[in-house]
Amino acid sequence: MRNLAKSSAPVLSLAFVAGLAFWAYPEAGAPARQIGIVLGWIGCGMLLASLFLVLREPRLATLLGGLENMYGWHHRLGMAAYVALLAHPLLLAAASLPKSPREAWLLLSPFSESWPVWTGWLSLILLMAGLGVTFATRLRYLIRRPIHAALGLAVSIGLVHLLLLGIDEPVAPILLASFALLAWRLLREDWGVGASPYVVRSVARVSPNAVEVSLAPLGDPIAAEPGQFALVAFQSGRRFKGCREFHPFTVSSNDGAAGFRIAVKALGDCTRRIQSIEPGVPARVEGAFGDFLADPAPAPQYWIAGGIGITPFMALLRSGRLKRPTTLIYLYRSESDALFVDELHTIAANQSNVRLLHRATGDDPIDPADVLPVGEAIANGEFWLCGPPPMIDAFARFLRGRGIANRRMHFEDFGPL
Amino acid sequence: MRNIYFVSTAAFWILIGGLWLVGLSAPKTLAETDAPVRKSYSLTEVAAHASPTDCWMAIHGKVYDVTGYLPDHPSRPEVIESWCGKEASVAYDTKTKGRRHSDDADRQLEGYWIGDLK
Repeated sequence: MRNLAKSSAPVLSLAFVAGLAFWAYPEAGAPARQIGIVLGWIGCGMLLASLFLVLREPRLATLLGGLENMYGWHHRLGMAAYVALLAHPLLLAAASLPKSPREAWLLLSPFSESWPVWTGWLSLILLMAGLGVTFATRLRYLIRRPIHAALGLAVSIGLVHLLLLGIDEPVAPILLASFALLAWRLLREDWGVGASPYVVRSVARVSPNAVEVSLAPLGDPIAAEPGQFALVAFQSGRRFKGCREFHPFTVSSNDGAAGFRIAVKALGDCTRRIQSIEPGVPARVEGAFGDFLADPAPAPQYWIAGGIGITPFMALLRSGRLKRPTTLIYLYRSESDALFVDELHTIAANQSNVRLLHRATGDDPIDPADVLPVGEAIANGEFWLCGPPPMIDAFARFLRGRGIANRRMHFEDFGPL
Repeated sequence: MRNIYFVSTAAFWILIGGLWLVGLSAPKTLAETDAPVRKSYSLTEVAAHASPTDCWMAIHGKVYDVTGYLPDHPSRPEVIESWCGKEASVAYDTKTKGRRHSDDADRQLEGYWIGDLK
Protein backbone atom coordinates (compact mmCIF):
# COMPACT_ATOMS: atom_id res chain seq x y z
CA MET A 1 0.00 0.00 0.00
CA ARG A 2 2.83 2.33 0.99
CA ASN A 3 4.69 1.63 -2.29
CA LEU A 4 1.51 2.00 -4.36
CA ALA A 5 0.87 5.43 -2.87
CA LYS A 6 4.50 6.45 -3.41
CA SER A 7 4.40 5.53 -7.10
CA SER A 8 1.06 7.29 -7.66
CA ALA A 9 2.71 10.77 -7.70
CA PRO A 10 5.03 10.02 -10.66
CA VAL A 11 2.52 7.76 -12.45
CA LEU A 12 -0.29 10.34 -12.36
CA SER A 13 2.07 13.19 -13.31
CA LEU A 14 3.57 11.31 -16.23
CA ALA A 15 0.13 10.16 -17.46
CA PHE A 16 -1.01 13.81 -17.50
CA VAL A 17 2.14 14.92 -19.34
CA ALA A 18 1.91 12.03 -21.85
CA GLY A 19 -1.74 12.91 -22.58
CA LEU A 20 -0.78 16.52 -23.22
CA ALA A 21 2.12 15.52 -25.51
CA PHE A 22 -0.12 13.13 -27.46
CA TRP A 23 -2.77 15.84 -27.91
CA ALA A 24 -0.22 18.46 -28.99
CA TYR A 25 1.83 16.30 -31.38
CA PRO A 26 1.87 18.22 -34.68
CA GLU A 27 1.08 16.16 -37.78
CA ALA A 28 3.20 18.17 -40.18
CA GLY A 29 6.51 20.02 -40.17
CA ALA A 30 10.19 19.21 -39.79
CA PRO A 31 10.97 16.53 -37.14
CA ALA A 32 13.01 19.01 -35.06
CA ARG A 33 10.03 21.36 -35.02
CA GLN A 34 7.63 18.55 -34.06
CA ILE A 35 9.90 17.49 -31.19
CA GLY A 36 10.39 21.15 -30.17
CA ILE A 37 6.63 21.70 -29.91
CA VAL A 38 6.06 18.49 -28.00
CA LEU A 39 8.90 19.32 -25.58
CA GLY A 40 7.28 22.70 -24.94
CA TRP A 41 4.03 20.98 -23.97
CA ILE A 42 5.86 18.31 -21.94
CA GLY A 43 7.70 21.05 -20.02
CA CYS A 44 4.45 22.92 -19.45
CA GLY A 45 2.68 19.76 -18.22
CA MET A 46 5.53 18.79 -15.92
CA LEU A 47 5.65 22.28 -14.39
CA LEU A 48 1.92 22.13 -13.73
CA ALA A 49 2.22 18.66 -12.13
CA SER A 50 5.18 19.95 -10.12
CA LEU A 51 3.06 22.87 -8.92
CA PHE A 52 0.30 20.46 -7.88
CA LEU A 53 2.78 18.45 -5.81
CA VAL A 54 3.59 21.35 -3.46
CA LEU A 55 0.05 21.43 -2.08
CA ARG A 56 0.31 20.54 1.60
CA GLU A 57 -2.99 18.84 2.26
CA PRO A 58 -2.86 15.90 4.70
CA ARG A 59 -5.33 13.71 2.74
CA LEU A 60 -3.65 14.42 -0.58
CA ALA A 61 -0.25 13.66 0.98
CA THR A 62 -1.53 10.28 2.23
CA LEU A 63 -2.84 9.41 -1.26
CA LEU A 64 0.42 10.43 -2.94
CA GLY A 65 2.83 8.64 -0.61
CA GLY A 66 3.66 11.42 1.84
CA LEU A 67 4.87 14.99 1.71
CA GLU A 68 8.54 14.03 1.29
CA ASN A 69 7.65 11.82 -1.68
CA MET A 70 5.58 14.63 -3.22
CA TYR A 71 8.40 17.16 -2.73
CA GLY A 72 10.93 14.73 -4.19
CA TRP A 73 8.82 14.43 -7.36
CA HIS A 74 8.18 18.19 -7.32
CA HIS A 75 11.96 18.65 -7.64
CA ARG A 76 12.49 15.92 -10.25
CA LEU A 77 9.61 17.07 -12.46
CA GLY A 78 10.68 20.71 -12.14
CA MET A 79 14.22 19.86 -13.25
CA ALA A 80 13.02 17.71 -16.18
CA ALA A 81 10.60 20.48 -17.23
CA TYR A 82 13.45 23.00 -17.19
CA VAL A 83 15.60 20.87 -19.51
CA ALA A 84 12.63 20.26 -21.87
CA LEU A 85 11.81 23.97 -21.96
CA LEU A 86 15.43 24.92 -22.71
CA ALA A 87 15.42 22.47 -25.63
CA HIS A 88 12.03 23.74 -26.92
CA PRO A 89 13.16 27.04 -28.55
CA LEU A 90 16.47 25.55 -29.67
CA LEU A 91 14.73 22.78 -31.60
CA LEU A 92 12.22 25.20 -33.15
CA ALA A 93 15.14 27.28 -34.39
CA ALA A 94 17.04 24.18 -35.51
CA ALA A 95 14.09 23.24 -37.75
CA SER A 96 14.45 26.55 -39.61
CA LEU A 97 18.24 26.35 -39.90
CA PRO A 98 18.41 24.40 -43.20
CA LYS A 99 15.91 26.83 -44.78
CA SER A 100 17.47 30.05 -43.51
CA PRO A 101 19.90 30.49 -40.58
CA ARG A 102 18.80 34.11 -40.42
CA GLU A 103 15.15 33.09 -40.01
CA ALA A 104 16.19 30.56 -37.34
CA TRP A 105 17.77 33.35 -35.28
CA LEU A 106 14.87 35.78 -35.89
CA LEU A 107 12.51 33.13 -34.52
CA LEU A 108 14.19 33.38 -31.09
CA SER A 109 15.81 36.79 -31.15
CA PRO A 110 14.79 38.74 -28.02
CA PHE A 111 15.60 41.92 -29.99
CA SER A 112 12.62 41.38 -32.27
CA GLU A 113 9.66 43.39 -31.06
CA SER A 114 7.38 40.49 -30.43
CA TRP A 115 5.42 39.82 -27.23
CA PRO A 116 5.19 36.05 -27.84
CA VAL A 117 9.00 35.89 -28.01
CA TRP A 118 9.48 38.25 -25.06
CA THR A 119 7.11 36.31 -22.80
CA GLY A 120 8.84 33.06 -23.81
CA TRP A 121 12.21 34.53 -22.84
CA LEU A 122 10.89 36.04 -19.61
CA SER A 123 9.41 32.71 -18.59
CA LEU A 124 12.70 30.90 -19.29
CA ILE A 125 14.81 33.52 -17.47
CA LEU A 126 12.51 33.33 -14.41
CA LEU A 127 12.80 29.53 -14.46
CA MET A 128 16.57 29.85 -14.71
CA ALA A 129 16.75 32.32 -11.80
CA GLY A 130 14.28 30.41 -9.64
CA LEU A 131 16.14 27.12 -10.05
CA GLY A 132 19.52 28.86 -9.81
CA VAL A 133 18.83 30.22 -6.32
CA THR A 134 17.53 26.81 -5.24
CA PHE A 135 21.01 25.46 -5.84
CA ALA A 136 22.78 28.53 -4.43
CA THR A 137 22.91 27.05 -0.93
CA ARG A 138 25.16 29.84 0.36
CA LEU A 139 22.29 32.31 0.06
CA ARG A 140 20.09 32.58 3.14
CA TYR A 141 16.93 30.46 3.07
CA LEU A 142 14.79 33.57 3.62
CA ILE A 143 16.18 35.08 0.40
CA ARG A 144 16.14 31.85 -1.62
CA ARG A 145 12.57 30.93 -0.79
CA PRO A 146 10.68 33.89 -2.36
CA ILE A 147 12.88 33.74 -5.48
CA HIS A 148 12.15 30.01 -5.74
CA ALA A 149 8.44 30.86 -5.48
CA ALA A 150 8.89 33.10 -8.57
CA LEU A 151 8.97 29.83 -10.49
CA GLY A 152 5.18 29.81 -10.13
CA LEU A 153 5.13 33.13 -12.01
CA ALA A 154 7.30 31.59 -14.73
CA VAL A 155 4.60 28.94 -15.31
CA SER A 156 1.91 31.60 -15.75
CA ILE A 157 4.05 33.75 -18.08
CA GLY A 158 4.92 30.65 -20.13
CA LEU A 159 1.20 30.04 -20.60
CA VAL A 160 0.63 33.68 -21.61
CA HIS A 161 3.39 33.09 -24.21
CA LEU A 162 1.20 30.33 -25.69
CA LEU A 163 -1.91 32.53 -25.66
CA LEU A 164 -0.04 35.27 -27.52
CA LEU A 165 0.97 32.72 -30.15
CA GLY A 166 -2.72 32.21 -30.81
CA ILE A 167 -2.89 28.83 -29.06
CA ASP A 168 -5.88 29.34 -26.80
CA GLU A 169 -7.00 25.73 -26.52
CA PRO A 170 -6.41 24.17 -23.96
CA VAL A 171 -4.15 26.93 -22.63
CA ALA A 172 -6.85 29.10 -21.04
CA PRO A 173 -8.09 26.32 -18.70
CA ILE A 174 -4.48 25.32 -17.91
CA LEU A 175 -3.67 28.96 -17.09
CA LEU A 176 -6.68 29.09 -14.77
CA ALA A 177 -5.59 25.81 -13.15
CA SER A 178 -2.08 27.18 -12.57
CA PHE A 179 -3.48 30.35 -10.95
CA ALA A 180 -5.77 28.22 -8.79
CA LEU A 181 -2.86 26.01 -7.65
CA LEU A 182 -0.67 29.06 -6.89
CA ALA A 183 -3.48 30.78 -4.98
CA TRP A 184 -4.27 27.57 -3.06
CA ARG A 185 -0.68 27.15 -1.96
CA LEU A 186 -0.17 30.85 -1.15
CA LEU A 187 -3.43 31.54 0.69
CA ARG A 188 -4.27 28.24 2.33
CA GLU A 189 -0.80 27.06 3.17
CA ASP A 190 1.85 29.82 3.13
CA TRP A 191 -0.47 32.42 4.68
CA GLY A 192 -2.07 29.71 6.82
CA VAL A 193 -5.72 30.43 5.93
CA GLY A 194 -6.38 26.67 5.95
CA ALA A 195 -4.32 26.01 9.11
CA SER A 196 -5.79 25.11 12.51
CA PRO A 197 -5.45 27.63 15.35
CA TYR A 198 -3.52 26.44 18.42
CA VAL A 199 -1.98 28.06 21.49
CA VAL A 200 1.17 27.17 23.44
CA ARG A 201 -0.07 25.64 26.68
CA SER A 202 3.24 24.87 28.33
CA VAL A 203 6.96 24.67 27.62
CA ALA A 204 9.41 22.22 29.22
CA ARG A 205 13.16 22.29 28.82
CA VAL A 206 14.37 18.78 27.90
CA SER A 207 18.07 19.55 27.31
CA PRO A 208 20.28 22.67 27.36
CA ASN A 209 19.46 23.29 23.68
CA ALA A 210 15.97 21.77 23.26
CA VAL A 211 12.48 22.43 24.59
CA GLU A 212 9.26 20.46 24.40
CA VAL A 213 6.31 22.67 23.46
CA SER A 214 2.78 21.57 24.28
CA LEU A 215 0.15 22.89 21.86
CA ALA A 216 -3.56 23.07 22.69
CA PRO A 217 -6.20 23.36 19.94
CA LEU A 218 -8.47 26.43 19.80
CA GLY A 219 -10.76 24.67 17.31
CA ASP A 220 -10.88 21.15 15.90
CA PRO A 221 -7.59 19.37 16.70
CA ILE A 222 -5.52 17.85 13.90
CA ALA A 223 -5.13 14.07 13.84
CA ALA A 224 -1.49 13.61 14.87
CA GLU A 225 -0.23 10.02 15.13
CA PRO A 226 3.14 9.00 16.62
CA GLY A 227 5.76 9.11 13.85
CA GLN A 228 4.05 12.00 12.08
CA PHE A 229 5.11 15.63 11.84
CA ALA A 230 3.11 18.85 11.75
CA LEU A 231 3.90 22.19 10.13
CA VAL A 232 3.75 24.89 12.78
CA ALA A 233 4.00 28.68 12.44
CA PHE A 234 4.43 30.45 15.78
CA GLN A 235 3.04 33.96 15.94
CA SER A 236 4.21 36.74 18.25
CA GLY A 237 3.35 36.63 21.96
CA ARG A 238 3.91 39.15 24.75
CA ARG A 239 7.69 38.79 24.62
CA PHE A 240 8.18 36.12 21.95
CA LYS A 241 8.78 37.36 18.39
CA GLY A 242 7.01 35.00 15.98
CA CYS A 243 8.67 33.12 13.10
CA ARG A 244 5.65 33.61 10.78
CA GLU A 245 6.55 30.87 8.32
CA PHE A 246 5.72 27.18 8.76
CA HIS A 247 8.40 24.77 9.99
CA PRO A 248 8.09 20.98 10.21
CA PHE A 249 8.24 19.54 13.75
CA THR A 250 7.93 15.88 14.68
CA VAL A 251 5.19 15.06 17.16
CA SER A 252 6.72 13.94 20.49
CA SER A 253 3.39 13.12 22.13
CA ASN A 254 -0.22 12.84 21.02
CA ASP A 255 -2.27 14.17 23.94
CA GLY A 256 -5.66 13.44 22.36
CA ALA A 257 -8.24 16.23 22.64
CA ALA A 258 -5.74 18.24 24.71
CA GLY A 259 -3.50 18.64 21.64
CA PHE A 260 0.02 17.41 20.98
CA ARG A 261 3.64 18.12 21.83
CA ILE A 262 6.71 18.81 19.71
CA ALA A 263 10.40 18.77 20.62
CA VAL A 264 12.37 21.71 19.22
CA LYS A 265 16.16 21.79 19.13
CA ALA A 266 17.99 25.08 18.51
CA LEU A 267 19.29 24.54 14.99
CA GLY A 268 18.43 27.73 13.08
CA ASP A 269 17.16 31.30 13.59
CA CYS A 270 13.55 30.33 14.29
CA THR A 271 14.25 27.24 16.41
CA ARG A 272 16.75 29.26 18.51
CA ARG A 273 14.04 31.84 19.19
CA ILE A 274 11.56 29.08 20.14
CA GLN A 275 13.86 28.12 23.04
CA SER A 276 12.46 31.15 24.88
CA ILE A 277 8.82 30.74 23.79
CA GLU A 278 6.18 31.36 26.46
CA PRO A 279 2.75 29.87 27.20
CA GLY A 280 -0.06 31.76 25.48
CA VAL A 281 1.76 32.26 22.16
CA PRO A 282 -0.69 31.63 19.30
CA ALA A 283 0.31 29.17 16.56
CA ARG A 284 -1.11 27.89 13.29
CA VAL A 285 -0.80 24.19 12.55
CA GLU A 286 -1.03 22.17 9.32
CA GLY A 287 -0.97 18.40 9.20
CA ALA A 288 -0.25 15.93 10.38
CA PHE A 289 1.90 14.32 7.69
CA GLY A 290 4.03 11.19 7.32
CA ASP A 291 3.70 7.45 7.92
CA PHE A 292 6.91 6.74 9.85
CA LEU A 293 6.34 3.93 12.41
CA ALA A 294 2.97 3.06 10.81
CA ASP A 295 2.16 -0.62 10.09
CA PRO A 296 5.17 -2.38 11.62
CA ALA A 297 5.77 -5.91 10.30
CA PRO A 298 5.21 -8.85 12.68
CA ALA A 299 8.93 -8.98 13.49
CA PRO A 300 11.28 -7.75 16.23
CA GLN A 301 11.52 -4.00 15.97
CA TYR A 302 14.80 -2.07 16.10
CA TRP A 303 14.59 1.67 16.55
CA ILE A 304 17.78 3.62 15.95
CA ALA A 305 17.61 7.26 17.04
CA GLY A 306 20.22 10.02 16.92
CA GLY A 307 19.92 13.21 19.03
CA ILE A 308 16.59 14.99 18.42
CA GLY A 309 15.68 11.94 16.25
CA ILE A 310 14.32 10.29 19.42
CA THR A 311 11.12 12.37 19.03
CA PRO A 312 8.92 10.05 16.87
CA PHE A 313 9.88 7.01 18.99
CA MET A 314 9.08 8.95 22.16
CA ALA A 315 5.57 9.65 20.86
CA LEU A 316 4.91 5.94 20.21
CA LEU A 317 6.39 4.86 23.55
CA ARG A 318 4.24 7.42 25.39
CA SER A 319 1.13 6.21 23.56
CA GLY A 320 1.64 2.76 25.14
CA ARG A 321 0.57 1.10 21.88
CA LEU A 322 3.67 -1.01 21.39
CA LYS A 323 2.76 -4.48 20.05
CA ARG A 324 6.12 -5.98 19.13
CA PRO A 325 9.34 -6.57 21.06
CA THR A 326 11.32 -3.40 20.50
CA THR A 327 14.97 -2.51 20.96
CA LEU A 328 15.61 1.23 21.14
CA ILE A 329 19.18 2.29 20.42
CA TYR A 330 19.53 5.96 21.31
CA LEU A 331 22.76 7.74 20.37
CA TYR A 332 23.76 11.32 21.10
CA ARG A 333 26.98 13.30 20.95
CA SER A 334 27.19 14.23 24.66
CA GLU A 335 24.98 13.92 27.74
CA SER A 336 23.80 17.51 27.15
CA ASP A 337 22.40 16.45 23.74
CA ALA A 338 20.32 13.61 25.25
CA LEU A 339 16.56 14.13 25.45
CA PHE A 340 14.02 12.33 27.65
CA VAL A 341 16.59 9.81 29.04
CA ASP A 342 15.00 9.62 32.51
CA GLU A 343 11.53 9.13 31.03
CA LEU A 344 12.91 6.46 28.65
CA HIS A 345 14.31 4.55 31.62
CA THR A 346 10.93 4.69 33.35
CA ILE A 347 9.12 3.45 30.23
CA ALA A 348 11.64 0.61 29.68
CA ALA A 349 11.22 -0.43 33.33
CA ASN A 350 7.41 -0.51 33.00
CA GLN A 351 7.04 -2.02 29.50
CA SER A 352 8.47 -5.54 29.32
CA ASN A 353 8.74 -5.56 25.50
CA VAL A 354 11.01 -2.50 25.40
CA ARG A 355 14.79 -2.81 25.63
CA LEU A 356 16.74 0.44 25.92
CA LEU A 357 20.35 1.07 24.98
CA HIS A 358 21.65 4.63 25.00
CA ARG A 359 25.13 5.98 24.53
CA ALA A 360 27.06 9.24 24.14
CA THR A 361 29.15 8.82 20.99
CA GLY A 362 31.43 11.86 21.23
CA ASP A 363 32.54 13.60 18.05
CA ASP A 364 33.74 10.43 16.28
CA PRO A 365 31.36 8.61 13.93
CA ILE A 366 29.71 5.59 15.56
CA ASP A 367 30.48 2.05 14.42
CA PRO A 368 27.06 0.32 14.14
CA ALA A 369 28.68 -3.01 15.09
CA ASP A 370 29.31 -1.57 18.57
CA VAL A 371 25.61 -1.15 19.36
CA LEU A 372 23.70 -3.61 17.16
CA PRO A 373 23.37 -7.25 18.25
CA VAL A 374 25.19 -9.80 16.10
CA GLY A 375 23.96 -12.62 13.83
CA GLU A 376 20.48 -14.12 14.09
CA ALA A 377 19.17 -11.47 16.46
CA ILE A 378 18.88 -8.84 13.74
CA ALA A 379 18.41 -11.13 10.71
CA ASN A 380 14.60 -11.11 11.06
CA GLY A 381 14.21 -7.60 12.42
CA GLU A 382 12.57 -4.51 11.02
CA PHE A 383 14.54 -1.28 11.37
CA TRP A 384 13.37 2.29 11.86
CA LEU A 385 16.02 4.99 11.71
CA CYS A 386 15.71 8.66 12.59
CA GLY A 387 18.59 11.07 13.07
CA PRO A 388 21.30 13.02 11.27
CA PRO A 389 21.91 11.83 7.66
CA PRO A 390 25.55 10.65 8.28
CA MET A 391 24.36 8.40 11.11
CA ILE A 392 21.48 7.01 9.02
CA ASP A 393 23.86 6.36 6.10
CA ALA A 394 26.32 4.50 8.35
CA PHE A 395 23.61 2.23 9.79
CA ALA A 396 21.90 1.64 6.43
CA ARG A 397 25.25 0.61 4.90
CA PHE A 398 25.98 -1.69 7.80
CA LEU A 399 22.53 -3.33 7.71
CA ARG A 400 22.68 -3.86 3.94
CA GLY A 401 26.06 -5.49 4.49
CA ARG A 402 24.35 -7.86 6.92
CA GLY A 403 21.82 -8.81 4.22
CA ILE A 404 18.88 -6.74 5.52
CA ALA A 405 16.58 -5.88 2.58
CA ASN A 406 15.71 -2.23 1.92
CA ARG A 407 12.01 -2.92 2.51
CA ARG A 408 12.84 -3.76 6.15
CA MET A 409 14.53 -0.39 6.70
CA HIS A 410 12.56 2.84 7.17
CA PHE A 411 14.11 6.27 7.40
CA GLU A 412 13.08 9.63 8.71
CA ASP A 413 15.89 12.09 8.12
CA PHE A 414 15.61 15.73 9.03
CA GLY A 415 16.13 17.22 5.58
CA PRO A 416 14.62 20.56 4.56
CA LEU A 417 11.07 20.35 3.24
CA MET B 1 20.34 17.74 -9.95
CA ARG B 2 22.65 20.69 -9.41
CA ASN B 3 24.96 19.32 -12.14
CA ILE B 4 22.06 18.83 -14.57
CA TYR B 5 21.07 22.45 -13.98
CA PHE B 6 24.54 23.88 -14.60
CA VAL B 7 25.31 21.69 -17.62
CA SER B 8 21.94 22.28 -19.34
CA THR B 9 22.02 26.04 -18.65
CA ALA B 10 25.57 26.38 -20.00
CA ALA B 11 24.72 24.27 -23.09
CA PHE B 12 21.63 26.42 -23.71
CA TRP B 13 23.58 29.71 -23.70
CA ILE B 14 26.36 28.26 -25.86
CA LEU B 15 23.83 27.10 -28.46
CA ILE B 16 21.94 30.42 -28.34
CA GLY B 17 25.25 32.23 -28.86
CA GLY B 18 26.08 29.96 -31.80
CA LEU B 19 22.67 30.52 -33.36
CA TRP B 20 23.05 34.27 -32.97
CA LEU B 21 26.43 34.23 -34.75
CA VAL B 22 25.17 31.95 -37.54
CA GLY B 23 21.98 34.01 -37.93
CA LEU B 24 23.77 37.34 -38.17
CA SER B 25 26.40 36.12 -40.61
CA ALA B 26 23.81 34.47 -42.92
CA PRO B 27 22.86 36.14 -46.23
CA LYS B 28 19.82 38.43 -46.22
CA THR B 29 16.44 37.32 -47.52
CA LEU B 30 15.13 38.39 -50.94
CA ALA B 31 13.10 41.21 -49.45
CA GLU B 32 16.05 42.61 -47.54
CA THR B 33 18.24 42.77 -50.65
CA ASP B 34 17.75 45.16 -53.53
CA ALA B 35 16.56 42.40 -55.87
CA PRO B 36 13.97 43.70 -58.35
CA VAL B 37 10.32 42.69 -58.15
CA ARG B 38 9.77 39.90 -60.58
CA LYS B 39 6.06 39.90 -61.27
CA SER B 40 2.62 41.32 -60.52
CA TYR B 41 -0.42 39.15 -59.84
CA SER B 42 -4.15 39.87 -59.85
CA LEU B 43 -6.47 38.69 -57.05
CA THR B 44 -7.93 36.17 -59.55
CA GLU B 45 -4.47 34.66 -59.98
CA VAL B 46 -3.98 34.60 -56.21
CA ALA B 47 -7.36 32.84 -55.83
CA ALA B 48 -6.06 29.96 -57.95
CA HIS B 49 -3.70 29.07 -55.09
CA ALA B 50 -6.23 28.45 -52.33
CA SER B 51 -5.25 25.11 -50.79
CA PRO B 52 -2.89 24.19 -47.93
CA THR B 53 -0.61 22.50 -50.46
CA ASP B 54 -0.49 25.61 -52.68
CA CYS B 55 -1.25 28.66 -50.60
CA TRP B 56 -0.81 32.28 -51.77
CA MET B 57 -2.01 35.33 -49.90
CA ALA B 58 -2.23 39.02 -50.75
CA ILE B 59 -1.26 41.24 -47.82
CA HIS B 60 -0.94 45.04 -48.09
CA GLY B 61 -0.40 45.08 -51.87
CA LYS B 62 2.12 42.25 -51.93
CA VAL B 63 1.66 38.60 -52.87
CA TYR B 64 3.22 35.85 -50.74
CA ASP B 65 3.54 32.11 -51.38
CA VAL B 66 3.26 30.87 -47.78
CA THR B 67 2.83 27.15 -48.60
CA GLY B 68 6.19 26.33 -47.00
CA TYR B 69 5.35 28.35 -43.90
CA LEU B 70 1.92 26.83 -43.09
CA PRO B 71 3.23 23.93 -40.95
CA ASP B 72 5.28 26.44 -38.91
CA HIS B 73 2.40 28.78 -38.05
CA PRO B 74 1.79 28.60 -34.29
CA SER B 75 -2.02 28.65 -34.28
CA ARG B 76 -4.39 25.84 -35.26
CA PRO B 77 -3.99 25.08 -39.02
CA GLU B 78 -7.54 26.16 -39.97
CA VAL B 79 -6.89 29.68 -38.64
CA ILE B 80 -4.33 30.43 -41.37
CA GLU B 81 -5.43 27.94 -44.04
CA SER B 82 -8.82 29.60 -44.43
CA TRP B 83 -7.00 32.65 -45.84
CA CYS B 84 -5.23 30.79 -48.68
CA GLY B 85 -6.02 32.41 -52.08
CA LYS B 86 -7.43 35.56 -50.46
CA GLU B 87 -6.67 39.16 -49.63
CA ALA B 88 -5.59 38.58 -46.01
CA SER B 89 -4.49 42.08 -44.83
CA VAL B 90 -7.35 42.34 -42.31
CA ALA B 91 -6.53 38.93 -40.82
CA TYR B 92 -2.85 39.86 -40.66
CA ASP B 93 -3.63 43.15 -38.90
CA THR B 94 -6.06 41.64 -36.37
CA LYS B 95 -4.21 38.62 -35.00
CA THR B 96 -5.85 39.15 -31.63
CA LYS B 97 -8.60 41.71 -31.09
CA GLY B 98 -7.25 44.51 -33.25
CA ARG B 99 -3.57 43.74 -32.69
CA ARG B 100 -1.46 43.15 -35.77
CA HIS B 101 1.31 40.60 -36.23
CA SER B 102 4.70 41.54 -34.84
CA ASP B 103 7.61 43.19 -36.64
CA ASP B 104 9.33 39.84 -36.40
CA ALA B 105 6.44 38.27 -38.31
CA ASP B 106 6.77 41.06 -40.93
CA ARG B 107 10.41 40.12 -41.44
CA GLN B 108 9.55 36.43 -41.69
CA LEU B 109 6.74 37.14 -44.18
CA GLU B 110 9.09 39.00 -46.48
CA GLY B 111 10.94 35.72 -47.03
CA TYR B 112 7.84 34.38 -48.83
CA TRP B 113 7.26 37.44 -51.06
CA ILE B 114 6.85 36.47 -54.72
CA GLY B 115 5.48 39.69 -56.28
CA ASP B 116 3.11 42.66 -56.08
CA LEU B 117 -0.67 42.78 -56.33
CA LYS B 118 -1.96 44.30 -59.58
